[in-house]
Amino acid sequence: MMRGDRVIGASTEAKEGVGIRVIVGGSLGFAATNNLSKEGIKKALNAAIVRAKNVSSLRKAPIVFSADYLGKVSYSVTLKKRLEDLSVEERLKLGKELWKEVQSSVKEAKVPITMFEVSTSLEEKLIMNSDGGQIHSLIPRVNVGLNVVLLSTNRGSLQRMIELGGSGGAELIDHWEVRDKIRDEVPKLENVLLKGVEPPKEPVDLVAGSEVVGLIVHESAGHPMEADRILGREAAQAGESFVKPEMIGSFRIGSDLVTVVEDPTIPGSSGYYLFDDEGVPARPRYLYKEGVINEPLHNRHTAKIFNTTSNGAARAMDYNSEPIIRMSNTYFRPGTSSFEELLEDIQLGVFMKSYMEWNIDDMRWNMRFVGLEAYMIRKGELAEPVKNPVLEVTTKGFYSRVTDVGKELRFYPGMCGKGEPGQGVPVWFGGPDLKISKIRLGVISK
Amino acid sequence: MIDPLQIAEDVVRKLKKEFDDVSAIINWRNSVMVKLWNTEPSVTQSWINTEATIYLAKNKRVLQVSLSIQDPEKIIDNVKKSITTLERLEESELYAPLPEPKPWEPLEGLMDKAVIKAIDSPKEPAQEMIDAALQEGADRVAGTLTLSHERRAVATSKGFSGFEEGTSVEAYLRAFKGPMSGHWSFGSRYLDLRAIRKVGSKAGYFASITTNKADYEPGKYDVILSPLVVGNLMNYVGFMASAAAVLMGYSIFAKFKPGDQVGDEKLTLDDVPRDSELPSSAAFDDEGTPTYNKPIIEKGILKNLLHNSGTARKMGAKPTGNAGLVFPTPWNLKISTGGLNEDNLPKELENGLIINNNWYTRLQNYVEGVFSTVSRDACLLVKNGKIIGDVGRVRIADKLDRIMKNVSDLGRALYMIRWWEVRTPTKAPYVLIEDVNITKPFA
Repeated sequence: MMRGDRVIGASTEAKEGVGIRVIVGGSLGFAATNNLSKEGIKKALNAAIVRAKNVSSLRKAPIVFSADYLGKVSYSVTLKKRLEDLSVEERLKLGKELWKEVQSSVKEAKVPITMFEVSTSLEEKLIMNSDGGQIHSLIPRVNVGLNVVLLSTNRGSLQRMIELGGSGGAELIDHWEVRDKIRDEVPKLENVLLKGVEPPKEPVDLVAGSEVVGLIVHESAGHPMEADRILGREAAQAGESFVKPEMIGSFRIGSDLVTVVEDPTIPGSSGYYLFDDEGVPARPRYLYKEGVINEPLHNRHTAKIFNTTSNGAARAMDYNSEPIIRMSNTYFRPGTSSFEELLEDIQLGVFMKSYMEWNIDDMRWNMRFVGLEAYMIRKGELAEPVKNPVLEVTTKGFYSRVTDVGKELRFYPGMCGKGEPGQGVPVWFGGPDLKISKIRLGVISK
Repeated sequence: MIDPLQIAEDVVRKLKKEFDDVSAIINWRNSVMVKLWNTEPSVTQSWINTEATIYLAKNKRVLQVSLSIQDPEKIIDNVKKSITTLERLEESELYAPLPEPKPWEPLEGLMDKAVIKAIDSPKEPAQEMIDAALQEGADRVAGTLTLSHERRAVATSKGFSGFEEGTSVEAYLRAFKGPMSGHWSFGSRYLDLRAIRKVGSKAGYFASITTNKADYEPGKYDVILSPLVVGNLMNYVGFMASAAAVLMGYSIFAKFKPGDQVGDEKLTLDDVPRDSELPSSAAFDDEGTPTYNKPIIEKGILKNLLHNSGTARKMGAKPTGNAGLVFPTPWNLKISTGGLNEDNLPKELENGLIINNNWYTRLQNYVEGVFSTVSRDACLLVKNGKIIGDVGRVRIADKLDRIMKNVSDLGRALYMIRWWEVRTPTKAPYVLIEDVNITKPFA
């Protein structure tokens, strides 16, 4: 971790343990321990059984899992460059170079703070269950994060957090071309800070950049299509969903151009896996298909309730966490238009390329995204920068207004939170640039 | 039986010759969580774990090693594997030698044997919470009940050794009645069945408070925030009071200094590690510094940032007993009380919104404090002192410092809040805030 070009410190982490899940008396129990002696594991197993039994009389019906094909395999991600080959010295060098890039990229604004982190991790997991599943996996991941604050005496400040991440080896650092990205983006952010204007007050066409689109589909297509949320299992934490079981396969959520896919099998992705943590094979799931709510994410419990089979969405953050339904890599399916074609018919509009603040209500319906790098569109071309345009819209309001879809699919990393205790799992979200017709944009409170 | 202090002391003894500073923190817990959905348990989760965090410094280079491992020999092996990482680092901007040990006063009343007894049989308190909500008229409930037995030990190469043992309870429930819902929570060291029943009854009360739906227009409203919402927003303020948050660009206090007015004079926010009934109470921090209660904001004035020895040295201050080895944090928070009569909140408010709960607080800019958060559960439109109806989910989109400056009154009672969106245990009242910016989505 570096602040500016100075080191704060480094951290290493090693976790090992076992998580045990049981169904006993129709009640689901889970226990985790890092005491790996026979006695320690027995004690955890006993806790799982005794405590689940104790509350089983509160259940109205037993928990039952769907009958699924479960894998017996071992797989891993191939590294081109080992994680340990990314030396401490290289990490420090990268942090210092990025700090220098930020400093030399601004002309008028000051850079009071940058924070830099680079992390590598290796996750080894063995899943075994009494239904015959046995999955061994080995997944390395790399992440880079940079927090930049730009300050202007007259125009206040602007904050940007840049994140890069994926599964793979140390080669990802070169592949991402982080220095070029900073050199390209920071002057644009300075321009927004110094010269950004308010967005138009009347409804205008919006071009949502792929980074914004990626987050929108994660929040308003991925989360509401988690079957456990639909059934209310997360009601007191991450909430429920506007999607009801009877809407699946029939409810129109957007225009024909709207298809949102969830796919754990994308090589190099942060959410990469080939079998889920119940042993079910992974595959692409079409959450929204041509504008219609299509297929929720299932584990073996929700699949049984929906009278179907699991589509492999169970993930546990680590041994200490029960497997629950999670996203992996969620994206808006690209179309055919170039960026110029998305803009060409827009007389007055806004292009929102990146964001900082966002949130959505617990039914996944009322959402807000505040733009960071953004521009006016005038007569089909990008014009002056726009400061903090606010897209505050309902889920259906957004997807119904999709009138054109870019052809270039880009992905962004994130850490998705859910569950109790909270589990953060690495994901990608992405999409192409989208054209959204006639929508009112707001401004942040002054 | 795990003895965390013995592990911590072993680790320090074996490592201190090789490093300038070593601090070992060993946490053990035996914990159960009953998670409820649709008025029945969805899963009963248990954890029997030992976690080790080792802080190492050599030649002003700093490394933190976190290990979910309980065998002292394995801890030492893992730390030794990290030595080359430490040696190849550069001097830390936030390095300071660990503090010399000072006398510390143990906290009384951290243990409740009833909690330990209930860990293997959590049905009764779970049932109490559910029944209380149903008796208030709720159709269904969801929530969690967590019971924990914890041991914590800290040993440092300066000779500090400290051990604490305690219990904790976290209960929260969301009650549904038709399209309405209400939410309440409780966090404590003690298994107080009356308080747990109150979680159910308060959640049921808010779910049943009105059957009317009301519409609203975006704009400025006077708003009464429940202790859950106050707890959530003050958790962000507490986080921002960390000197590390200030240094790293994650704090509105980057633009203030102690002595500056940052809120209304009715607002006081304390860090209270020595309040034994709150679950994160502690007598010493992760560097062995004795803890003490202190105001972060007193009568609207920023009084203290929270320091470990490293941030204190950097900023010319004294450690405040809030280590966090790299990132100082508040232990428990407590907010001042006032004259607001919660028995008749609509009359106290006269016109505006009463918000039962919120989630998903995010910031556009930490330094400016520009944020938004979304209401959930009851959100009541009040006109002329009467509840008109529930407006559904609204968004507060404002600035944290303005929220603090617009505090108009606070409730007379404090509630011990801890739940999914309030991770630092907080004693919070209802708070009336004037002119809060409320937004609405474009359909």
